[in-house]
Amino acid sequence: MTDKTSLAFELKNSLAELSTLCEKLEGVGEALGLSRRCLFEVNLALDELFTNIISYGFDDQSEHIIRVCISSDDNLLTVVLEDDGIPFNPVERRSRKVSGELEQCKVGGLGIHLVKNLVDDVAYHRCGEKNVLTLKKVIEKS
Amino acid sequence: MEIIEEKQGYLSTFKLQGRLDSNTSQAFEKRLFDAMSDGAKNVIIDFKDLDYISSAGLRVILKATKALKREDGKILLCAMQDYVKEVFEIAGFDSFLPIVPTLDDARKGF
Repeated sequence: MTDKTSLAFELKNSLAELSTLCEKLEGVGEALGLSRRCLFEVNLALDELFTNIISYGFDDQSEHIIRVCISSDDNLLTVVLEDDGIPFNPVERRSRKVSGELEQCKVGGLGIHLVKNLVDDVAYHRCGEKNVLTLKKVIEKS
Repeated sequence: MEIIEEKQGYLSTFKLQGRLDSNTSQAFEKRLFDAMSDGAKNVIIDFKDLDYISSAGLRVILKATKALKREDGKILLCAMQDYVKEVFEIAGFDSFLPIVPTLDDARKGF
């Protein structure tokens, strides 16, 4: 992967695939010379969205494929996540209010709150039978 | 993820290595709550060798913090990489969870 190329791969709807995601992203990080912080933030945003998809996106017990396509153009990294689950827009969910109080602190919506703060843009589209999430992040090199 | 646990009286110290995510958070939750059932009232979590945390990891720490508070116990987190600390800040957890620079600082806190 160089400055203007892309990488596509597929993940199954299983939590064990988080390690595959991590390995693939490490390769991307190395190829593009991403800083450790930038790689960490991209990994975390994708982890939260992927975990969300496999937790809420499918109403059957079958195996599903989540397609990941990563591309970069100069200093902008674009990641597209595509799944064939039920229509589900995580972006629409109201980002949780950050509470400074332990007792008021709830964990619902925490994942999407992190995503919105870690990337520069996240958008959802329903395309035919597919959920398509597009993330954009300005690259920080090491 | 590797979890190394040290016990001194009511204080349990957990040193985490690797990645705390949806795959590993359940094992960590079990270790924490087992220690509490065993009498641990105070907990230190050493993040020095932790490379990664997701909301699944934050969830376990929040749950443990609430449980310890009910028992009048205390939790201290230490030695985080700056980008791990950033996750606690974005989540707003840094306002009620004490995060100190080193393990020695954490030990002095008890």
